[in-house]
Amino acid sequence: MKAVCWHGKHDVRVDTVPDPQVCNSGDAIVKVSLTCICGSDLHLYNGLVPAMKKGDILGHEFVGEIAEVGSGVTRYRVGDRVIVPFPICCGACWYCKHELWALCDNTNPNSWMMEKLYGDTGAGIFGYSHLYGGYSGGQAEYVRVPFADVGLEKIPDGIPDEQMVLLTDVFPTGYQAAYYCDINPGDTVAVWGCGPVGLFAMKSALLLGAERVIGIDRFPERLEMAHVQCRAEVLNYEEVNVAQELQNMTGGRGPDSCIDAVGTGIEGAYDSVKQALRLESDRCSALRQLIKACRKGGTVSVPGVYSGFVDKMPMGALFAKGLTLKTGQTHVHKYLPHLVKLVQDQQIDPAFIITHRMALSDAPHGYRIFRDKQDSCIKIVMKPQGA
Amino acid sequence: MEPSETKRSRPRQGLRQKRVNVGPAERKASMAGGAALALTGLRCVGKRNYLPGLAMLVAGGLFLYRGKTGHCDLYEAAGVDTMHTHNSGLRIEKVVTIGLAPQQVYQFWRNLENLSKFMKHLESVQLTGERTSHWKAVGPGGLHAEWDAEMMEDTPGQQISWHSVGSADVPNKGTVEFRQAPGTRGTEVKVAIDYYPPGGAAGRAAAKMAHGINSQQLEEDLKRLKQILEIGEEITSDRTKT
Repeated sequence: MKAVCWHGKHDVRVDTVPDPQVCNSGDAIVKVSLTCICGSDLHLYNGLVPAMKKGDILGHEFVGEIAEVGSGVTRYRVGDRVIVPFPICCGACWYCKHELWALCDNTNPNSWMMEKLYGDTGAGIFGYSHLYGGYSGGQAEYVRVPFADVGLEKIPDGIPDEQMVLLTDVFPTGYQAAYYCDINPGDTVAVWGCGPVGLFAMKSALLLGAERVIGIDRFPERLEMAHVQCRAEVLNYEEVNVAQELQNMTGGRGPDSCIDAVGTGIEGAYDSVKQALRLESDRCSALRQLIKACRKGGTVSVPGVYSGFVDKMPMGALFAKGLTLKTGQTHVHKYLPHLVKLVQDQQIDPAFIITHRMALSDAPHGYRIFRDKQDSCIKIVMKPQGA
Repeated sequence: MEPSETKRSRPRQGLRQKRVNVGPAERKASMAGGAALALTGLRCVGKRNYLPGLAMLVAGGLFLYRGKTGHCDLYEAAGVDTMHTHNSGLRIEKVVTIGLAPQQVYQFWRNLENLSKFMKHLESVQLTGERTSHWKAVGPGGLHAEWDAEMMEDTPGQQISWHSVGSADVPNKGTVEFRQAPGTRGTEVKVAIDYYPPGGAAGRAAAKMAHGINSQQLEEDLKRLKQILEIGEEITSDRTKT
């Protein structure tokens, strides 16, 4: 089969590799009909994740059709159209039973790596380095999906792949970020980063009852999408003093909740220098800003990815203002049934976010323009040949 | 006034007391060697050989510290402990929580033939009698070892212990405890294995080197046990059957 393989920093290729096989009894083989490039794939593309090997298949956002099932699969049959959540969950451990799906105890066979770094491990993730288990990813024609009965969600008839593929990661991730904000009527939610997760966080905040959402970014096309699609008031942080503007916009109180949909990416001179000198592994200038901006007693919700250490974390401000910090990988399984229903009821069309459609064979080009934000690229979907 | 100070058996060592992980004989050797090294270092500095002198002073100081406190950071990092091993054996201990009742986990373990399903270094365990069994293992570097074992303690739902008997290649003994975890968390499984590597001091030194790996291996073994009991099989992230 054809698959998008990682070969090194800024080097992905479409290779021909052996087809996947059923290895455990709960496996399904999914024939991919549509797959995306995620912002977090860029961390791998940019060579920031050390636990990658040449030939690893990328991708953790994909939908498709069941092509084969293992002897233990009971809920699905060949031909079913399914959504595949990005974390792989056993459904049997204490964490899965408590809806903390992304913290599954049993699905990362390389858990020792993460234990060395973090003291414990989370769930395995498709196509996201050996640190997250070394599973082959979804930017391919076929994928081996463990625990099919636990993980998969059926796609209702008549709902197109383009809407459903965004439910594998970015929509649930934005939704969880907003859900964590414990939104009350009248609340203002400010979102740093107007990429796919930030945009879905704004949409979700409105769905959950927020009165106003504010989007902060520097790319005009992203701010435009936030304004047009998510009714957001927008701030370009290269043009205005964000802290001051937020004060002005909220009568001096600050936003009730602040969402960091940037993670370790945003530019800042201090952190860039320290990161280059290997004195700090993650940059967090957005996080500092939003802790300072948040209303007293409010929530700081962090769907953006961090992987190491940050400097000058304003712990004093967090404490003095009594803020709540919520973070972590998304427990996709928990939100999926509800989000599918929202789409079915036409309360949201997640496909608004897609700016680029291409063939899987064009992945190297896709990665390039997505990294460079060329051609106003926000979200790329790719179709394998014959799908 | 600090009246309580005199009652202390140890000098004040700050709030976090370091764990003693160096055996008594080794501590004496560390003190003597460290003092000699530090003195030589001082002489070197006296003769204006600053760099080697300072290096020896620092190294000597570290050995003195190790001897005085009985704590070695290097040993700690490598998972080596020469204080808490008995009869020059080596002990590895690991613990895992499994989401089943203690009785269920106990029953799986009590059938010793199941051990080779999750202990990677075991080729097989065969029951040879009511309390006896024959074990086949592959050690570091592909070395084969075989031994007979006898169950010593068997408390249903709580504890099993066993030891090797006769002329085992690597004499060993082990204990596993099953404790009810709080709430719905299942069972805390605690395993301790002592083994007595052959080949005198050299054999022990080599085994100590391999100790870190073995300790990691036991941890992986227990994770496999957890997968087998919670899910029903060992998981893999491979794309194809190998």
